[in-house]
Amino acid sequence: MTEIPRQKIDVDIACVGFGPATGGFLKTLSDHLVNPDGTPKLESRVVPGLPLQVVCYERADDIGFGVSGVVSKADSIRSSLADVQPQDIPMCAEVTEERLLYLLDPVGASRRTIGVRLLDKVLRALRWLPLYREHAFRMPFTPGFINKHGGWVFSIGQFSQWLGMNLMSTGLIQLWPGTPVSEPLIENEQVRGIRLMDQGTDLQGKPVDGFMPGMDIQADLTVVGDGPVGTVGLALDEQFGLPHGNERKDWAVGAKMVVELPEDTPLKAGTVFHTLGYPEPEIFGFFYVHPDRLASVGIFVPSWFDNPVRSTYRYLQHWILHPYLYKYLKGATMRSWGAKSLQESGRRGEPFLVGEGWARIGEGSGSTNIFTNSGVDEAWHTGKLLAESVVELLSLGKPMDKANLTSTYIERRRKSTLEKETKMAEHSRDGFQKGLIPGLIGMMLTAVSGGRVRLPIKTQSTQERLERMQDFYRKRLSEQEWEEIRQKSASQGVAMNDLVMTRMGWPEIPYDGQLLISHQDALLVGGKVQAPGGYRDHVAFIYPHLCEACDTKLCIEICSGQAITPGENGIPAFDREKCIHCGACLWNCTRLIEASSSQTNVKFSAGTGGLHSGEN
Amino acid sequence: MSVFHIVVCAGVVPDPLQSLVPADDPAKPALKNELMLPHVLDPWAEHALYEAAHLAKTRDGSKIWVISLGPKAKVQQVMMKTAQKAPFQLIAVDGTSSGFSDSFAAAEVLAQTINSIEEINKEQLLLFGGWESASRASGTTLQLVGEMLDIADQFQGVDELSVLPDGKLRILERLEGGEHQISVCTGPPAVLGWATGNLPEPPNNPQIGMVNMRQMMPALQKAQVADLSQPTVYHSVELPKQKRETQVVRDKPVQEIAREIVEWMRLR
Amino acid sequence: MERLLYLIHPESDGSLSTRNLEGLSAAKSAAQELEAQLQIGVWGDQIRPILDNLAGISPAPVLIVEDPAFKDGRFASDAAAMTALCRKAEPTLVFAASSPRIMRALAAVALRMKGAVDTHITDIDTSSGHLRIHRWYYRQRMQAEQNRQERPWFLVLESGIAPALQVEKGQVETVAVSCALTPKEMRTAVEGKQLPKGDSQTIKPDAEMLFVAGAGWTKKQSDGQIHADVAEKLILDFLHKSGASLGSTKSLVDLKGEGQAVLNFMTHLNQVGQTGSTPRHDKGIATCCHGEEPHVVGWRFIGERRAINLDANCGWAQGKADVLYVADAFQVLDEINRLLSE
Repeated sequence: MTEIPRQKIDVDIACVGFGPATGGFLKTLSDHLVNPDGTPKLESRVVPGLPLQVVCYERADDIGFGVSGVVSKADSIRSSLADVQPQDIPMCAEVTEERLLYLLDPVGASRRTIGVRLLDKVLRALRWLPLYREHAFRMPFTPGFINKHGGWVFSIGQFSQWLGMNLMSTGLIQLWPGTPVSEPLIENEQVRGIRLMDQGTDLQGKPVDGFMPGMDIQADLTVVGDGPVGTVGLALDEQFGLPHGNERKDWAVGAKMVVELPEDTPLKAGTVFHTLGYPEPEIFGFFYVHPDRLASVGIFVPSWFDNPVRSTYRYLQHWILHPYLYKYLKGATMRSWGAKSLQESGRRGEPFLVGEGWARIGEGSGSTNIFTNSGVDEAWHTGKLLAESVVELLSLGKPMDKANLTSTYIERRRKSTLEKETKMAEHSRDGFQKGLIPGLIGMMLTAVSGGRVRLPIKTQSTQERLERMQDFYRKRLSEQEWEEIRQKSASQGVAMNDLVMTRMGWPEIPYDGQLLISHQDALLVGGKVQAPGGYRDHVAFIYPHLCEACDTKLCIEICSGQAITPGENGIPAFDREKCIHCGACLWNCTRLIEASSSQTNVKFSAGTGGLHSGEN
Repeated sequence: MSVFHIVVCAGVVPDPLQSLVPADDPAKPALKNELMLPHVLDPWAEHALYEAAHLAKTRDGSKIWVISLGPKAKVQQVMMKTAQKAPFQLIAVDGTSSGFSDSFAAAEVLAQTINSIEEINKEQLLLFGGWESASRASGTTLQLVGEMLDIADQFQGVDELSVLPDGKLRILERLEGGEHQISVCTGPPAVLGWATGNLPEPPNNPQIGMVNMRQMMPALQKAQVADLSQPTVYHSVELPKQKRETQVVRDKPVQEIAREIVEWMRLR
Repeated sequence: MERLLYLIHPESDGSLSTRNLEGLSAAKSAAQELEAQLQIGVWGDQIRPILDNLAGISPAPVLIVEDPAFKDGRFASDAAAMTALCRKAEPTLVFAASSPRIMRALAAVALRMKGAVDTHITDIDTSSGHLRIHRWYYRQRMQAEQNRQERPWFLVLESGIAPALQVEKGQVETVAVSCALTPKEMRTAVEGKQLPKGDSQTIKPDAEMLFVAGAGWTKKQSDGQIHADVAEKLILDFLHKSGASLGSTKSLVDLKGEGQAVLNFMTHLNQVGQTGSTPRHDKGIATCCHGEEPHVVGWRFIGERRAINLDANCGWAQGKADVLYVADAFQVLDEINRLLSE
């Protein structure tokens, strides 16, 4: 095959990933690009005479695909969009009611510690109170740190689409969905831009017909907002490491559905439920009601939930079936479904934020407030701060180098309320490393002391925590039973989680064909998971021998789309037509490629495709 | 060498993979949450665009115009993907893309729009589009546009177009049973309503995208508003109600299943 | 009073298609119920075999345009002939059975006649004394009942719209309608047909049965291996022995572009549902398919339906098939082929 040259283009600013952080960056920046008479306020260096040339590449097939429903105080977002009312944005409503619910276990299959059982007992003893209904105890008030009163319930998908349309229509910003970035262009510690993914390749990345090498986008500033499992962010982490003392050990998978509630639903738009206690004490849930009888419902499965057969999908179904929630959800229809990895280390997971020609924003920059469980507005805030810094530097004709970005962007971040709040939150969740009750105590300590007092508990990663599967259930499953389950799952080519959960007493899900449907059918609703051809697989197992020797294979169990399944010679098989790009395999892999590294044996890169729903 | 002025009529439709449900008022049919659904370029029209791009690439001086009738915001959204596929000039018309709108009204708007493009030489015109849309699926709109433009050679269900050495057009149209009709037309103007064609989707080319997009945003801002008349009276629009009682047969030996199926096949 | 014109062209072998017999049946009963006058118009090269089958349908003479220039399906000549027939009959309603020739040119005729057109009509309702039609929208996802006031109103009828008319052989009175073609209308020459390539003669619209192959055929099987070669052999063997037509889900034909295991005889022409066809067959069997509504439209017009799938919750089957066999399609098809050869 003749060598096809790699094309290059020059822009002023290249952004990677279009989520709330990049949204905040581009919205703020676009307000400063031209004068009222249409002349450039900030002139492009690469195309003199024109306004700054700003492009943003998003790997998903459309902007706003596959992200989540959310409740947020939205302070920063609202300050940027002063003229905008919730009703201007599809699926957006002001928070009107919040309930914090402790869910008791109505089926008896949940794995509850002595402390949790004690708490259950106390609450059941209070069942005569009006606060107790259908195996759930409604807390008499929502603590201030969770409370989102006055904020918004919205869909990040719809918000992103709405914002993206507005940004594009200014003609000043170019957004390109369906365009995965393969890597940053690093030369001598300097980021010169980004390289897009090769097209026209087989699944291993080898050129086939129609091969086109990924284009190099050379930029004065590369803005990295590709989230916690984004390729460029991960590559920068690998290149530059994390600042001393920072670590990223806490993760979660958020799995959710967008549902249409029954016609006679009593729930008003803006209603919010936060739940804890069920289906396992480690699993938290949310229920956000949007306008037009739509709701986002879902759960978080954290990395400190030690169950080695963690299945977000089936647990989500059991959560839906909890009597307190099911009374609202019975008769509802699933419109779409999805999952996402959440970086739960917050400020403690902050990477280097800037360097020569690059800056990081959003969740991947450690902006999530793990105490208040909020990350969207915080991500927006980081984007906004970076945009203000960039405008300042460009107005003064200063280059976007490390020193200048430090004195502007980092300076702004350090002085911001965001920094204060995320610092306070840093250790608020440490207690959960030891279970629900210590976790709640830790949260209360943070609330009372403003983050000054914390439990002396060290955070451990999945790899440090996880026992062998059989050890976790040693009291309830014999080695022989394990072997039988293992063989059955291998012969059927499926994860073990379903078999194990059923064996542990979880009832079968009563499929109704509209809300409760099989995992595979869920991949097909709401536009289906799609995987355009011509690109390499974005999930790979680096060293096959590590997989062969692995007897945990948590990657298979956690996989949100059942895209990773038992494969030949013990090496998992990957089917990207089912992958929803949640990235959970990356941090759930229990094998590190080197003991001294935090790199697991899963290589997770950017790829096209995934969920095709703008409502999520 | 023949040089073509290729006009591709390509509307936007809700992604056919989405769950589509009619809104409650049958007299004014629409899709529920229509504007929240992800949209795509009409799949057959998309093939038409790829064929146009392929043809234009091999014929220096040829040019492609894409006329898209649909809600401006949705056209803009779809162009974020389409603009990277091939160089073309977008002409957006802001109007409904509903399948329940009338093909005559849509065709009138499209024909007027084409007539207003001064640069187009009718003697070089190839009018491309999908043979049907994924929304109305009437298979009439493109034909009506061609008729309104007084084009006497029309082809529908096209899977292949080749330009012969003498400049004639050799066209393969779908018949039934996997057959194709072979026609030879003396040259443009002609209407080609494309089926799937044979070309793969071109790769995304960011450079083409950037160049296209610079003229697309002004085109979108300039989009004329088209209010389509609606002569059809709708009495009901419903999802199919038919749901079968599925008998699920598990744990039956393969031999028995096969025998049962063969017996069923032989039953008349 | 409505005046209904029914338009017919001969098939390439000169015959009258079953679709036309169904369409004529629908037109005859609509005319009766609407108290409309029914007239038939035929155009083509040699139309005698058609005329012999039209006795007893309507007392009105059959309008004909007959000339070698109208032998082939060509937009300009078909549109000219149909326009001439319409001008002569001055109908308020025009019916025609769907065919590539009708679909290619009837809308243009409607425009020339300053009328309106609706296509893909699956049912006609005259119970109110007015004509209402049923048609699908969004690729067979939803069905509407509708009508319009504009006349003449042209309707293209789908197959299966009514039971086929029992043919009465005999003489019919004809009136020749002249239709001269201009040079502009003869710029296109039809050179013939291209038959499907050797091993891809798998689409048989007249077959009793549709066999739908899903992407599962080219996925890893229980031994962790892909057996596309075995799948190919099994499917071709089955098609050969059963005479069934082959349909495919979109995902299976799409695999071709991705360098994955494929079934070599499968093309986009086989695709059913979504951007594929919605064929009509008495029976259908779906194998290794997985999907939901958008895919299922592909077998909306299949009478009796059975499915073989390892997943009992398969969206192709639940609520859509009459019987779902939870089994390995490789094994079942192998056994079916053995039984069929006996």
